Amino acid sequence: MANLVSDQLLQMETTCGSLLYELQMIWDEVGESDTERDKLLLELEQECLEVYRRKVDQANRCRAQLRQAIADAEAELAAICSAMGERPVHIRQSNQKAGSLKEELKEIIPQLEEMRKRKNDRWNQFLEVIEQIRRISIEIRPAEYTPSKVAMDESDLSTRRLEELHRQLQSLQKEKTERLKQVMDHLNTLNSLCLVLGIDFRQTVHEVHPSLDETDGSKNISNDTIESLASAIQRLREVKIQRMQKLQDLASTMLELWNLMDTPVEEQQLFQNVTCNIAASEHEITEPNTLSMDFINYVEAEVLRLEQLKTSKMKELVLKKKMELEELRRRTHLVAQAGNETEFAIKAIEAGAIDASLMLEQIEILVSKVKEEAFSRKDILEKVEKWLAACNEESWLEEYNRDENRYSAVRGAHLTLKRAEKARALVNKIPAMVDALAAKITAWENDRGIEFTYDGVRLLSMLEEYTIVRQEKEQERKRQRDQKRLQGQLIAEQEALFGSKPSPSKPQSAKKVARTSTSGSSRRQSLGGAIMHPSKPDLLHPKSTRSTKKGDDIAALSPGRRGLDIAGLPVKKLSFNNTMNAPCEVEMPRRPFAPLVPVNSIPSTPSQPNIMSTPSILLTPSQPKNNDVEEENRTPKIMPISTPKTPGTVPASMQMATTPAPTSIVYEAAVAKAPLEEIEYSFEERRLASYLKRSRVL
Amino acid sequence: MSAAVLPTSSGGGRELSNPPSDGISNLRFSNHSDHLLVSSWDKTVRLYDASANVLKGEFMHGGPVLDCCFHDDFSGFSASADNTVRRFVFGTGKEDILGRHEAPVRCVEYSYAAGQVITGSWDKTLKCWDPRGASGPDRTLVGTYPQPERVYSLSLVGHRLVVATAGRHVNVYDLRNMSQPEQRRESSLKYQTRCVRCYPNGTGFALSSVEGRVAMEFFDLSEAGQSKKYAFKCHRKSEAGKDTVYPVNAIAFHPIYGTFATGGCDGYVNVWDGNNKKRLYQYSKYPTSIAALSFSRDGRLLAVASSYTFEEGDTPHEPDAIFVRNVNEVEVKPKPKALPAPPP
Repeated sequence: MANLVSDQLLQMETTCGSLLYELQMIWDEVGESDTERDKLLLELEQECLEVYRRKVDQANRCRAQLRQAIADAEAELAAICSAMGERPVHIRQSNQKAGSLKEELKEIIPQLEEMRKRKNDRWNQFLEVIEQIRRISIEIRPAEYTPSKVAMDESDLSTRRLEELHRQLQSLQKEKTERLKQVMDHLNTLNSLCLVLGIDFRQTVHEVHPSLDETDGSKNISNDTIESLASAIQRLREVKIQRMQKLQDLASTMLELWNLMDTPVEEQQLFQNVTCNIAASEHEITEPNTLSMDFINYVEAEVLRLEQLKTSKMKELVLKKKMELEELRRRTHLVAQAGNETEFAIKAIEAGAIDASLMLEQIEILVSKVKEEAFSRKDILEKVEKWLAACNEESWLEEYNRDENRYSAVRGAHLTLKRAEKARALVNKIPAMVDALAAKITAWENDRGIEFTYDGVRLLSMLEEYTIVRQEKEQERKRQRDQKRLQGQLIAEQEALFGSKPSPSKPQSAKKVARTSTSGSSRRQSLGGAIMHPSKPDLLHPKSTRSTKKGDDIAALSPGRRGLDIAGLPVKKLSFNNTMNAPCEVEMPRRPFAPLVPVNSIPSTPSQPNIMSTPSILLTPSQPKNNDVEEENRTPKIMPISTPKTPGTVPASMQMATTPAPTSIVYEAAVAKAPLEEIEYSFEERRLASYLKRSRVL
Repeated sequence: MSAAVLPTSSGGGRELSNPPSDGISNLRFSNHSDHLLVSSWDKTVRLYDASANVLKGEFMHGGPVLDCCFHDDFSGFSASADNTVRRFVFGTGKEDILGRHEAPVRCVEYSYAAGQVITGSWDKTLKCWDPRGASGPDRTLVGTYPQPERVYSLSLVGHRLVVATAGRHVNVYDLRNMSQPEQRRESSLKYQTRCVRCYPNGTGFALSSVEGRVAMEFFDLSEAGQSKKYAFKCHRKSEAGKDTVYPVNAIAFHPIYGTFATGGCDGYVNVWDGNNKKRLYQYSKYPTSIAALSFSRDGRLLAVASSYTFEEGDTPHEPDAIFVRNVNEVEVKPKPKALPAPPP
C-alpha cells in the first residue's frame, strides 16, 4: 500500500516535472518573458501551498476529534467506575500510548460498553431493593413514609451502598416479621380474653382493624393497629379483672352461705367451677365463658337465691332463739322487761328494716344474760320449788282436813292417809323453809342490788304475804279453837241446864270454807296460783291428776286424747298450774296491756281451739259448757278472777297448736271424721243445717 | 255494740248503716258506680250507695241468700238457699225467678262476655241462664253441666270460668264450649276450698282453703307455665311459738294493680303482691271473721264484710257489719323488687 501511495507520489512528481517541462516548452514556444514565467511559477507555488495547508488543517482537526472522543470515553468510563466504586482498569494504557489514537479509541469503546451494561444491571438491583424498602415502609408506617428519603441517587451505585440498602431492607423485613408476630400475639391474647369473657372475638377485632379478622389476608401491622390492639387488650383485661373480682366476691359470698347453711355437696357441685377460681389470679382464669356476663348473672342469681334462703333461715333461727329465750325465762321464772321487743323485731325483719343477724346477736346476748342470771338464781329457785311443793301439800292437807268423811273406809283411803301424814311433817317444816329462803333471797338481793323476782313478782313479798296469810290462818285457827272451847263451855252449861248436846253449827263451817278460799285467792295473786287449786276436783280425781301430771306433755300433744279427756279438763289445768304455770304467769303482769281479754273473753278466746277442731262439732259445744260447769263449781268469790282464768285456756289451745299442728289436727279430723260424718261440709252447709233446724224448732 | 257503730270508726273504714241482721254471704261493687250489692243469711239482698252510705233497696227472698251479683247498674241476680236463682230490678223493686236448682244455690256470676248468668249449686251442677229469655225455666235455661261435687266457689275472667267444688276439685271451662271442662284439676292445697278468684289479666286464679293458705295457679299447662305456681301461708297467728290457723274466706283482686286482698276468720285483711310474693299491707283487725271483700271498679274503695262465717258452729258472735274503706295507693301498688347490688 505504502508503495502504492509512494508510487502515486512518484508518478505525481513525474507528472509535475513533465507538466513543468511542457509549460517551459509552451513558454519557449510562446516566448514568454522570464518575469512572466517567474510570476506564473510563484502563482503555482502559492496555490500548491494553499492546498497543502488546507489538508494539514483537516488532518489536524480529525486528530483532535479523535482525542476528544477518547477523552470522553475515558471520562465516562471513569465516571461509571467511580459511581460503581470500582478501580478504573484502562488508565495506564493511555499513559503508555501504545498505539495510535484510533487504536486507542477502538480499545476503549468495548470497555465502556461493558461498564455501561454493568452499571445498568446495578441500577436495576438498586431499583428493586428500593422498591421493596418502599413497600415495607409503607406497610409499617404509612404516615411517616416520604418518597424523597428513598429517592435515587444515581451518583452512588457502589456495592457498598447496595449492601447498605440490603441491610436496610433486611432490618425492615425483620421489623415486619416482628410486628406480625406481635400482632399475632395480641390477637391470640385477645382471643383468649374474648373466650373467657364470652365476647365475640371477630367483632372486637373487626372494630380494631377490618383486615385483622381475615384469616388468610395480610394483616395490617402499622403502629396504630398495634396500639389499638394493645389498648383493646388492656380494656378487656380491665373488664376481666373487674368481672373476676365480682365473680370472686360472689364466690366467696356463696361459700360463706354454703358454710352457713350446710348446702348439700350436689348443689355445690354445680358451682364448683366458680368457687375453684376464688383465689385464682387474673391470668389463671382461662376457661371459656367463665367470666361471661351470662355466667356472672347466673351465679349472681344463685347467690341471690341463697341470700333469700338465708334470710328466711335467719328468720327461723331468730324465732328459734326467741323461743329458746322464752323457754329459758319460763324455766327460771324471769319476766322479760319489754315483753314485745322481740315480737316487734320479727316484724321488722320481715319488712327488712333490721338485719336478722344483728337481731340474732341481740337475742344471743339476752340468752347469755338470762343464762347467767338463771345460774345465779338456780340455788334459790330450787328452794322455791320445794317451798311451793310444800305449800301445795299444805293446801291439800287443809282441804283434806275439812273433809268430814276423810276417815271413811273408801278404796285407797290408806294412801291418802299416808299422804296426809307426810304432808303434816312437811308443813311443819315450812316456816323454817321460808326463813331460810328469805335469808337467802335477802343475801342475793344485797349482793346484786336488785330485787329477786319470780315470774315478775318480788319473791320476798310473796314470802311475806305467805307468812301473813299463814299467821292469819293460825290466828283463825286459834280463834276457832277458842270459840270451840267457849262453845264447849256453853254447851256444857246448856247441858247442865237442858241435858242435850247440839251438834256443831253448820253456818260456822261454811264461814270457814269461805275464809280459806279467800285466803287462797289472795295467795294466788302473789304465788301465781301455785297453791290455789280448787281442791274439789282434786278430791274427785286424785288418780287422774297424777296420771296427767306424769304424762303431761303427751296429753297436751295428742288432740285425740284431749278430746277424750274433756271431763278431766279442769284437772289438767291444775297440772298446768303446777308444772307449767309459766304461761299463766306470763299473762299476769301483761294483764294491764291486754284489756281485750276480759272484754271479749268468752266469744273470742275459746275460738282458737274451736277453729282447730272444726270438723268435730261434738267438741265445740262441749267446751263452753265445760267452762260453765267450772264456773258453777266455783264460789262466787272466785268469779272476778275468772278473767285471768280465761286466758288460762289460751295456753291450752296453744298446746294444741304445738302438735304437728293445726294442719295435722284438721288432717287427723279428716281421717277421724270417717266414723262421725262421711262427707266434708262447708261452713255454709253446716250453717244452713243449723238454720233449718232452728227454724223448724221455732 | 251500739257504741262501735260510729259511722267514722277510723280503723276499719266507714261502717255502713243498716247492715244485714244476719251473716253476710257476699258483697260486690258495681262495675259502673260505687253501688254495693250485699247478700245475707237474713234472706235479703241489699243495695247500698257506698260513697253516700245510703241503703237504696232491699229484696226479700224465701231463704238465706248465699250469693249475689250485678247485671248492670239497674238489675242484679241472687243465689238463694231456697234453690232459686232470682233477678231483681232495682228501680222498680220488681223481682222474678230465673230458675231453680235441685239444692241450695251457692254462687252466681254474670258473664258480660257471654251475656249469661252462671250458677253453681250444692246439687252438683252448674247451670247457665240467658236472662234475656222470657220468664220460665224452659226458656231461660241454657244448659246444665254436672260437676264432680257440690259447687263451693265460681270465678270468671273473659271466657274462662273456674269452678271449685267440695272434694278439692277445680274445673276450668271455656264459656264458648261448656260441653266439658277445658281442664280438670285438683286443688294444690290439701284442705277444703273456700274461695277461688281469677287474676284480672286472665292468666290464672288464686284459690284459698280453710287451712290458712292461698295457692296461685296458672291456666297455661306447659311446664314453664306450671312452674310459676306457688302457695303461701297466711291468716295464721303465731303466739309463743304456737300457730293458730284460720280459714281464708275471701279473695279480691285490685282491678288496676292486680294485687289482691285476702280475708280470714282471724278478722284480718291482708293485701298481697302475687308477682313479687310480698305482703303489701295488713289492715287493723276487724271485730270478727272477714266473710267477703270487694274492690270498687277504680280500686279506690274496698268493701269488707266483717261477719261471723260459722266456722265454730252456732255460737254467739260479734254483730255483722260492712266497712267501706278508702284505699291508699301505697297499700295496693306493687313495690318494685330491690336489687341487692347494682350491676357494673
